[in-house]
Amino acid sequence: MVVRIRLSRFGNRHQPFYNIVVAQARSARDSKPLEVIGTFNPIPQRPTNLSEKEARTAKAYKEISLDRSRAKYWIGVGAQPSDGVWKLLNLAGIVKESKNVKN
Amino acid sequence: MAPRIQNSVVSNSLLPYLTTSSTSSSSTYLPRLATTCPSSQESWRSCRSFSSTPAPQTTRRRREMFAWLNTDAAKLRTHTPGSTNYLMRTNPKLKDSPAVETRVFPANPAYRSESILSEELRTEIYNRVVIKKKSVRAVSVELKVDMRRVAAVVRLVELEKRMEKQGKPLAVPYARAIHEMIPVTPPEQAHEEINELPVHRLTNPQIFYPVSESRQFNRVDAGRVFSAAPALEHEKLAKDVANPSEAISRVTQNPSRIELVGKGDEEHQVLQAADVRIPHPHMVTSTRDINEVPNEIRQHPKLYKARLRAQEAADQERKRLAQERKEKQTQRVQPEDSRFEFRINDVVVSQETTGKDGRNARAPGRRYGVPSYDRKKGQVKIPTRVEV
Repeated sequence: MVVRIRLSRFGNRHQPFYNIVVAQARSARDSKPLEVIGTFNPIPQRPTNLSEKEARTAKAYKEISLDRSRAKYWIGVGAQPSDGVWKLLNLAGIVKESKNVKN
Repeated sequence: MAPRIQNSVVSNSLLPYLTTSSTSSSSTYLPRLATTCPSSQESWRSCRSFSSTPAPQTTRRRREMFAWLNTDAAKLRTHTPGSTNYLMRTNPKLKDSPAVETRVFPANPAYRSESILSEELRTEIYNRVVIKKKSVRAVSVELKVDMRRVAAVVRLVELEKRMEKQGKPLAVPYARAIHEMIPVTPPEQAHEEINELPVHRLTNPQIFYPVSESRQFNRVDAGRVFSAAPALEHEKLAKDVANPSEAISRVTQNPSRIELVGKGDEEHQVLQAADVRIPHPHMVTSTRDINEVPNEIRQHPKLYKARLRAQEAADQERKRLAQERKEKQTQRVQPEDSRFEFRINDVVVSQETTGKDGRNARAPGRRYGVPSYDRKKGQVKIPTRVEV
């Protein structure tokens, strides 16, 4: 059995929100995982409280929260990140960019 | 069988009277009735109303109402800008009392309309905070406006200026109408109590707490009793009583160091004395300083300013540290080919955060097995506070 690090979808219709979870690969997407190691909010947030100059160049941001040590531990023991999580972990600098996973 | 509805025959005989202006109806009632209802038997039936006795169009009360409208209430038709136009104006007994301006309902003395900031006071607040770079705390004390209101004014004026710059129309007539309807605070007047303290939840229960007569029992002790914290050591208490200003500023300048009691979810800060919890504790400490040298009047503003500056510096430092801590926990990544920035926050997944059953609210992520009540009836989704 493979352990995967993958996303499980929470939130309502048109309001996706993902838990980054460690789970058995063959289990259902939203079933109870082995561990929740973070979250990913794919809806871009507008930065607030900026001066007008900053506001012109500011990019909208997406929030990721992640327990890095747990992510490293699970990868160390052979958990396989899914494509989406691979991109996120690459952003966090935990895994290298992969040829298979296009950013 | 006759049709139930006879459009051609039935007509409302009251119609001409309903549409006429109210003041003239009393005088024109009788002649109209005479003209619309001819005496011949057949046409009488057609314009007959449901009741066989025609109801009088002008009751006594109606007559009195129009009499009142023409005499006492005539002054309500026009009003002087800058003052309200409530019904109390018509009461000759209360002519000069301040209630005329604020009491909306004559029969309800408890209901007072609160005044709003005048246009000048609003601009004055904005100028002092944004242009003169004074702190919100200082401006709040100077103009006697609540700190939260000062902050809101600054934000809203900023927003208004931006809208003007973008060429968006402002609802000026609306604002003018509101300012004419509601009492308004001019700049030289105090707007509200700035040091008001809401009742704390912990102080609701009545507690019977036996204290020995030989011991001093003050507000600090009372706070500890309310929050079920163990009593302070006598030496420490004696030190605080000897130097109360120091005790106040120690807490107000480091609010994160307030002692915690309770375990787990029940953990809370020890309830502090009122002079610590009020919005402007520096006013208490500076007044105490001033009372020590009551005759040296030149010293007084200096003493006040020193306390204010200390409090402002502590506020700033606290804000800076919080910002720094947040920045430290957040990594910002801007991929070159992405339209978005990614902000990666550090979280901790451990027994402490997730709890034994994994359902603790401090753990990252949405919960499993805990229903979300966000679609339930009565869930308020309107934000009740602004994070700035």
